[in-house]
Amino acid sequence: MTTTVYSARRILTMNPSQPFASHVAVRDGRILGTGSLDQLKGWGKFDLDDRFRDKVILPGFVEGHSHAFEGGVWKYPYVGYFDRISPEGKRFKGLKNIDEVVAALAVHEKTLPKGTSLLAWGFDPIYFGGRRMDRGDLDKVSTERPVVVIHSNFHVANANSPVLAKANITRDTNVHGIVKDAAGEPTGELQEMAAKFMAYRAAGVELSAVLSDKEAIWRFARVAQLAGVTTATDLHNDLPESTVDGYLQATQSADFPIRILPAFAAGSVAPAEGVPRLQGLMKKNNERLRFQLVKIVTDGSIQGLSARMRWPGYYDGTPNGVWNIGPDDIDRILLAYHKAGFQVHIHTNGDEASEVAIEAVERALAAAPRWDHRHTLQHAQMADAGQFRRMKALGMCANLFANHLFYWGDIHYAKTLGPERAERMDACGTALATGVPFAIHCDAPVTPIGPLFTAWCAVNRLTASGRTLGEAEKISVADALRAITLGAAYTLKLDEELGSIDVGKRADFAILDDDPLQVAPDKLKDVGVWGTVLGGRIFEAPRA
Amino acid sequence: MIPFTVIGGFLGAGKTTLLNRLLGEAVDRRFAVLVNDFGALDIDSRLVTAHGGDTLALANGCLCCTIGDSLVTTLLDLLERADRFDHIVVEASGVADPGRIADLAALEPRLQRDGVIVLVDAAEVRERAADRRLTDTIERQIRSADLLILNKVDLVTDPGGDSGADLAALRDWLYRQSQAPLFEACRAAVPMGLLFGLDRLGITADAPPSADFASWSYTWREPVPRQALTDLLHDAQRGVLRAKGIVRFDDSPDRRSIVHLVGRRIEIRDGGPWGDSPRGDTPDSRLVLLGLKPVLGCLKRQ
Ligand SMILES: [Zn+2]
Ligand SMILES: [Zn+2]
Repeated sequence: MTTTVYSARRILTMNPSQPFASHVAVRDGRILGTGSLDQLKGWGKFDLDDRFRDKVILPGFVEGHSHAFEGGVWKYPYVGYFDRISPEGKRFKGLKNIDEVVAALAVHEKTLPKGTSLLAWGFDPIYFGGRRMDRGDLDKVSTERPVVVIHSNFHVANANSPVLAKANITRDTNVHGIVKDAAGEPTGELQEMAAKFMAYRAAGVELSAVLSDKEAIWRFARVAQLAGVTTATDLHNDLPESTVDGYLQATQSADFPIRILPAFAAGSVAPAEGVPRLQGLMKKNNERLRFQLVKIVTDGSIQGLSARMRWPGYYDGTPNGVWNIGPDDIDRILLAYHKAGFQVHIHTNGDEASEVAIEAVERALAAAPRWDHRHTLQHAQMADAGQFRRMKALGMCANLFANHLFYWGDIHYAKTLGPERAERMDACGTALATGVPFAIHCDAPVTPIGPLFTAWCAVNRLTASGRTLGEAEKISVADALRAITLGAAYTLKLDEELGSIDVGKRADFAILDDDPLQVAPDKLKDVGVWGTVLGGRIFEAPRA
Repeated sequence: MIPFTVIGGFLGAGKTTLLNRLLGEAVDRRFAVLVNDFGALDIDSRLVTAHGGDTLALANGCLCCTIGDSLVTTLLDLLERADRFDHIVVEASGVADPGRIADLAALEPRLQRDGVIVLVDAAEVRERAADRRLTDTIERQIRSADLLILNKVDLVTDPGGDSGADLAALRDWLYRQSQAPLFEACRAAVPMGLLFGLDRLGITADAPPSADFASWSYTWREPVPRQALTDLLHDAQRGVLRAKGIVRFDDSPDRRSIVHLVGRRIEIRDGGPWGDSPRGDTPDSRLVLLGLKPVLGCLKRQ
């Protein structure tokens, strides 16, 4: 039984009765106490560790909505517009025009064996002044090897001529999602189902194996850890046996750097089968792996124009989006897991989806009253003040997609939502004022995992073009830091164990180079992450 | 090419009942059935085993915010063992647009789109479609149909046998939205030969087991005027349920044209030059129609 006391420039505890401290004592992977060195001496013999004396210690960040698929896509080259850090800590420079993307792909193409496909991800043409990528661009990469570039939203892809030829896609193919040029020829841009089909087809079985790939879970954990995350969700997983085995194996290793919570995809099997299955899986829980969450996906995405909107719908007149799981099934599935005592996370992007989910929770509570269920709306991007009031009244939580403001805020302002609804989207200020417990998230791999960046979004609400989107919904740095620690832990029912630096809790820390409460709020995202501590074990991040 | 059928319709319209009937009656063909019902009702597993095909449950998207990954990967996986079955049927979820799923056949050269069959619950559909959160979903499904099955008509027909005003209004409502032929049925009892009847191996013209339906075979020695034939099929739209044939059109007499019709949807594609088959067939046009008896009677007179 050894005790280590860490000194720090400052410790931000998220514990309101002692918000700041200079030292933290750790024993058996748990927090023995915080305070000054003098206050901690009474616990007996200890080793003083000064390695963090210039650093600032926060509770380890909790990412309440991410996907382990982030670890899967890093198997392929990243060709996005914004810089992104790989699991190895390497910074991939953003590619600022189509020629740069083509050049990067051409270099990568030379490294691939014959007979394989080239797949890349993260492409985002919205800042290219209207110019779209076409098959001519990708034919410059190869006219023999199939090349597929998946967009950052995962709903659109570009293909080269060999891919189109293999599938017999010509000017005569009349299928939703195959984009054609003015002359009626397919441009190689594919949307929605067509994009998915062609991507999977070109990549063969390889792409579908990516999720259960044993390395993917490690890549996901590393990329999260580099950003100061000590607990992350994999917020939608069918949990086939192979995936569960991979999780068990990885999390039994002391080197595994995060705690992970997979959310069971409730639509994958009948609740009568899913409930006992999840109960069985919970018996396998260990310190780094928690089965306990359930996920229901209701609608699509706003940027994909598939979110379910209330009147007056999309700003540009696009017809309403699609249900993934419709209102009746939401009721049925929610009630089954609610009755079994589970906490259910419900994906709702559009406000009609939020409305349906809130009403489903209301009916479930009437049918089976339950205290402290904490059913959580995930994204809830368009929820308005009235919906937050209902969430509060019903005991619900929200996890808001703050990163969205930066990555798609400009599009929402101009096209999908219009100024007014864009300015109040991801309404952290309203959540706070209404008293709805909330977290903020990245939805990796849709956007990169990085809670300090996510907090920066909630504080500054700046779009990529520099527009401030909704002054009134900004929150303070202190509130944003709480949202990425204790706030997120609350939405996962882990707040008594994680999320603050307090006696008896797990010794999970984010070690920062600077004090986020001292830097200018618009510099929050630039605060360096030295590494993390997980259950007392130190994980230094490689420097990007 | 493998025929690819999509069965759509809102929750409770009878998709699973229809599938169970199909599997129960299928004796000479093996169906691979892909089910996406979010674990509500299960199709009868005994039937699946009995008919020697495959049933694969689909989960909804693997990654949040995506739809269809599971369908796509399952389908591709299935095509790897295409020798094990003769026909693929997808049961779309109660909120999916079955037309979008059928589009997959256009992206996959190994698949022949064989029609979108949409079931409508006669007793419930108007009320459900009046819910603003479901209106567009239900209307999209109806618009996507190549064949409509108005199911559970017994629930809107009074015991005296009078089909009543409700049913007439329902028909009108459907006709306003769709050109597709409309079957009326109870407990999804429709002749399976009409829905899935013409297999990929060639033309079969087994008369469907019903007094209301008939099949008709045509043979032409001379090249067939393309316009005349497509006009004929379009005219009979509400009555011709299926057609399949190999036709020598006047504008391309040297090549076979494969004509394939399911409900309102006519597809004509090139079948290669005449005379290259091992059987050394003569360039006769042959067409089989399945449909409602009175309509076929009219066609014959023409
Ligand atoms: Zn997500
Ligand atoms: Zn989502």
